[in-house]
This record gives sequence, structure tokens and C-alpha cells, in this order.
Amino acid sequence: MRAAALGSAAVVAAAVLAACARTAAPPAASANAPPPAIAYESHLAAGGMRPAGGTLSNPHTGDAAVARNGALLFTTMNCDGCHGTDGSGFVAPNLGAGRWRYGGADAEVFASIYYGRPKGMPAFGGALGSEGVWTLVTYLRSLPVPNDLPTESWEQP
Amino acid sequence: MRRSACLATLLCLGATGAAPAGPQALGAASSAEDGQWTMPGKNYSATRYSGLAQINARNARGLRPVWTFSTGVLTGHEGQPLVVGDTMYVVTPWPNVLYAFDLSKEGYPLRWKYRPDVSQNALGVACCDAVNRGAFYSDGVVVYNLLDGHTVAVDARSGRELWKTAIADMGSGETVTMAPLVVGDRVIVGASGGEFGIYGWLKGLDLKTGQVVWTGHNMGPDADMLIHPETFKAPYPVGPDEGARSWGNDSWKTGGGPVWGWLSYDPQLDLVYYGTGNAAPYNTEQRPGDNKWTASVLARRPATGELVWAYQFTPHDGWDYDSTGAMVLADLTIAGKPTHVLVHFDKNGFAYTLDRATGKVLVAAPFAPVNWAKAVDLASGRPLVDPTKETGVSKGNVKGICPCLEGGVSPNSPPAYSPRTHLFYTSTNNLCMDYETGRVSYLRGTPFMGINSPYTSGPGGYMGSFIAWDAVRGRKVWEDKERYPNWSGALVTGGDVAFYGTLDGYFKAVDARSGAQLSKFKVGSGVVGNPITFRAPDGRQYVAVYAGIGGDWSLIAGDTRSDDPRDVRLPADFMKDIARHTSQGGMIWVFGL
Repeated sequence: MRAAALGSAAVVAAAVLAACARTAAPPAASANAPPPAIAYESHLAAGGMRPAGGTLSNPHTGDAAVARNGALLFTTMNCDGCHGTDGSGFVAPNLGAGRWRYGGADAEVFASIYYGRPKGMPAFGGALGSEGVWTLVTYLRSLPVPNDLPTESWEQP
Repeated sequence: MRRSACLATLLCLGATGAAPAGPQALGAASSAEDGQWTMPGKNYSATRYSGLAQINARNARGLRPVWTFSTGVLTGHEGQPLVVGDTMYVVTPWPNVLYAFDLSKEGYPLRWKYRPDVSQNALGVACCDAVNRGAFYSDGVVVYNLLDGHTVAVDARSGRELWKTAIADMGSGETVTMAPLVVGDRVIVGASGGEFGIYGWLKGLDLKTGQVVWTGHNMGPDADMLIHPETFKAPYPVGPDEGARSWGNDSWKTGGGPVWGWLSYDPQLDLVYYGTGNAAPYNTEQRPGDNKWTASVLARRPATGELVWAYQFTPHDGWDYDSTGAMVLADLTIAGKPTHVLVHFDKNGFAYTLDRATGKVLVAAPFAPVNWAKAVDLASGRPLVDPTKETGVSKGNVKGICPCLEGGVSPNSPPAYSPRTHLFYTSTNNLCMDYETGRVSYLRGTPFMGINSPYTSGPGGYMGSFIAWDAVRGRKVWEDKERYPNWSGALVTGGDVAFYGTLDGYFKAVDARSGAQLSKFKVGSGVVGNPITFRAPDGRQYVAVYAGIGGDWSLIAGDTRSDDPRDVRLPADFMKDIARHTSQGGMIWVFGL
């Protein structure tokens, strides 16, 4: 019974994949890439336009010392009051689960902290400046992302 | 002053039966049951007792769901519907839609719905889910609060907005989740924000215009608290400006003291009773002193806001023991004397029976496992605190404190009182906690907390219960144990049936005298709302309750994974398997025979 169900699920999945492949692949002859305004996967600001002043890139990517400072800043600025200890989530989203409401690229996380977000995330740019926000971004990007999130089972394997 | 006396006279006339029975008639004392539910606690005494008896201990086994309606909202459905005449009113959590259902037609179609514009920023300022604890009906008007800090009045017949008043400031961490209380022409409201260091208050608005008439703070100098030194009389005397002097370093200015629970009213004494929440921040060492009047009950004049007396349940609160739970008014015989009492089940695990004219403690006894204090000293009114359970940044991680900060009962889960059994009915939590605070800086509009407090199951291997309580003797009469913390309010009826819901999604009816289970039904989501009962236009009695897990438990049943340390949102890790039994989903359920 269970095997049969799995089998039919696999068939459906294969069909869906095939359908996607048909619609998603642009005709080879067409040179027209989709316009940047519908580049959903990267959640670009302003309809595909980069923010004025050029591309945002984190000056501290991978810097462990900056990440440690960011952890302190995370507590000092009361971020943990909403996002939980170590960013593990509380009334505001988990910041270490690898799932992002407003995008998880450096520039997107920067924008969320600097400018705020409409469901209650305050704008910290004025208080922290770019350097402070990048320090937080560096910390958040240093959090280890779990690799087995999609499934939660209560049955014994 | 004159106005206040006049108001009291009018209401007294109503209570003695000179006025016709109607929504303003007082349920607890009145013998005629009109079958409505016009205010959150059923009546001004907040007894959540209805005299309806068609559903009784003999036939309640036949209860079955007869109607449901999805609110389309996934956050915690605290609070309760109202039933006025042939209309049922339901307020949803944010975005705080008000529905009016026509109970006289098959399927209860909507008469109208009112959809206010509520800022979604409020979602990030509300500490503990986007809840709403309900509306109040008075004189053709439905009044309720919006999460983003507004009170609205809506015409009960047409659904048209009559007024909308900004009462709270989200910029300083204030949101509004409580249900208002209307007395005469005053709408009385308060703000949440104990986790944001607000300067807590209660306000009185004019029912006709929505104008703010008075604001009384819950701490601070006497003038801010609306204390007149010549008339203010605390049951355990204090000096002038105690609301400021009992806070070191002027910490009262960001001291919390929110009002997010339930209000009650005694028309004879002309006093409104309400509880205040925790002191902020959680680190006690940033606010030396008693921190009056947080974690307290306050008695005010509704017309003017004047503070008449106040009593503090938990001085220098170091455990997040809000006292925002209901203050239930009853007349009990204590030491052979008929006494007008106020009964309160506090987060701190003690149930208090107070003289509601003076605030003096008559009885105080634990109703759930308690170890932070040994007892309450009746002479001083103060708890005898176990020094090893005192918290603060210099104490480090203090282990094994009971109850946990969710409380011996959540203030969200109001009790019921039956004048037939003379018993109180309440949900309880059986949870303990470790408590580690940190020094925090006040940054306006951000959390002012600094706490890490994991929970554990309390003694006995169960995490909650539903109990019957004798408030004269201060003892438990019976207890129905539940697997999970019990988070719904209570209802008790003239049919001697008590009702409650469970966190894993059962709605239950039990015998009010014995606690024996009469019926249960698995609703669509965990229950954190409060059951009510009413007589519909078809002449039959029904029971209504919201399903929709949330509030403090919103964090365990949403888009999170309960068994992954990186994806568990506190405080869920002590009962990971709850997610096996319930998920989000707001729905109104109506049961009948």
C-alpha cells in the first residue's frame, strides 16, 4: 500500500517536472531573456534596478571576528527580543533556518535591517549605519543552516 | 466626583431590578437568564456563568458540532464571541475583522463584516502573537481594540464605524490586545507592551465620541497614577508617590506594567478592577525596589479614573508573573460572614480571595505547583519568597522555578464561577523553568527583555489541568489532568456543566460537581479561546468556542519544525510532540444537542 502510494507520487512528480521543463525552457531561437522585473528568485529591489550607489556587497564576508561582533550587536540592539536567542526565532522569523521572508542574499538581508520591513521589522540603518548593518549581516550569514529541515516525522524509521 | 456618584446610582437601580432586563443588566446577581453573552466575562462580575440549563450534566453526552466558520486567520484565537439578540459578533486576531452573524437564519449567514485598516507593523510590536481578546456590547454599539493601538466603536445593527480613536503608540512598543469594558458612558482600555518597557496605563474614553477622558498610569508619581492622597487607601499602607519611589534609578519610566487581560466592575462600590502585567526589563537589578504597581490589582472609579486602592501580588517581580488574569467578583461566606470578594488566579501560582472593598487578602493558597514563595503572609500581604529562587543578572541561571513564566494559569485563560456550586473553574499549567536574565539597554520601540527561560514539565508527568477551586478554603476540589498546558478559558452553566478546550484540540464538557467528562470533540486546531453559551432564536441552547492555537504557542504550530534545535522557536522545545496533534487555523465552532 505504502509502496504503491510512493510509486504514484513519483509518477506525478515526474510529470510535473516534465511540464516545468516544457514551459520553463525558453525556445532556443529566442534571444529575449525574461526582463529583470520578473527575476523572482533574487528578489531584486526596485523592479530589478540595483539601489542607487552601486551593487551592495558585504565588505566582511566570512570574517569570523566581525561575525562575533555581530553576535554582540544582535543582543545589544535587542534583536534577540523578537528573533530569539542566536536568531533561532521567536515572534519574528528564525534567521538561521536558511529560509528568508525577504530574501537571504547579503544585499537583501542588509536592506531588511537597514530599511526595515512592513510586518514590524524596524529600520535600524539610522542607528547602526552601513558598517553596523554589515556586521549584523556577517553574523547572520555565519549561522549554520540545518540540512534536513523539510521533513519532520514522529514515526520510528 | 458628582458624576461618579450619579453613575453609581443609575447602575444600582439597574441591579435592583428597577430597570428592564437587557444587555446592561447584571448577570451574576440577576436571576433571569436572557440567553445572551454581551460582554467578555458574561457579566460585570466576570463569572462566565450562564443560567442556561437545557444542556445539563445528564444530556451533555449528546453534544455535537452544529456549525463552523473559518476566520481565514492563522494566529491565536483568544477571546470569545458575543451574542446580542439574534446576532453573534466575532473579532478575529489581526487584521481584527468584526463579523456579525445572523443566528435567525439557517447557516448563520453574515449580516455584515467590518474590516478596519490595521497596520501590519503591529505584527512585529505585539510580543506574543497578533491576538485579540474580544469585543464589548453596550447600548447598540460594539466596541473593541485594534492591534495597532486603536479603539473602534461600530454600530451593532449596521456595522458602520461610529468612531476610531488612537489610544496607544506603537513607536514606544504599545499594542492593544485586551477587550474593553464599558461602564455607563466610559470605554475602559489598556495597552500591551510589558516586553517593550512601556509606561503602562489605563484609559477612559467617552462612549459617544471616542474622546480620551482620562489616563491613569500603572506606576509613576501619584499625579500620573490619578491617586488623590486623601482618598487613596491601599490595604497595606504605602507612602506618597510609591509608584515612583519603589523603583530605583527612575526605572518606572520604562517599567512596563501593561494591561492585556480582563476587567470587571462592581456597581455598588463603583469600582473597576484590573490587573497589571510584569515589570520591565526582566533583569530585576535594573529596577531595584517593589516596582509598584506592576503585577498588581488596581481599583479605579470608571468615570474619572481615580485610583481607590491597589494591591501587589508579586513585589519586585523576577519571574514575569503578570497579574493580568481576570478578577472575578463573587459573594462568599468567609468565617461565617457574607463577604463581597474578588477572586484571582495569578500567574505566580497562588489563588487569592480579596475583600473587594478594601483589597485586603482573605485567602491565598497555591492552585498549581509553586516553589518561588512558601506562602503569602496575610498580615503584610507579601509573599514569603524563597531566596534561592530570586533572579537577576548577578544570580546567573536560576534553575527549577515553578510555575514557569507562562503562569500557574495564563491570564489569557479566564476562570468561571458558578453560584450554584460555589466553585471556581480554571485551566492550569504545570510547568517549571530556568531563568537567566541579561542586562539590557532601552531602545525605544524594541524589546526590553533580556531573558532566556527554557521550560520543563512540572511534577507529576502532566503539563496542565482543569480544576474546580473552593475560594473560601483555598483548596482544589477536583482536577482533570491534561497532557499539555491548558490554555482555554472556562465556562460554567445552570445545567452544572463546565466547558473548556485543550491545546491539542479537544473541546470538552465536564460535570461541574465532579469533574467527570461528559463529552469531547476534536476541533480543527488547539483551543486558546474561551467558550460561551447562548440561546439562539430557535429557542435552543448552544455553546460556542474558537479553535486556533496561538498566543504564546503560536511558535510551535506554524512554519517551524518542532524537533530541530535550529528551528524550534522557544518556548516549544519541552513539548515537541504537540505539533503532531495540532496546527494553526482559526475557526468558530458551535455545539448543540
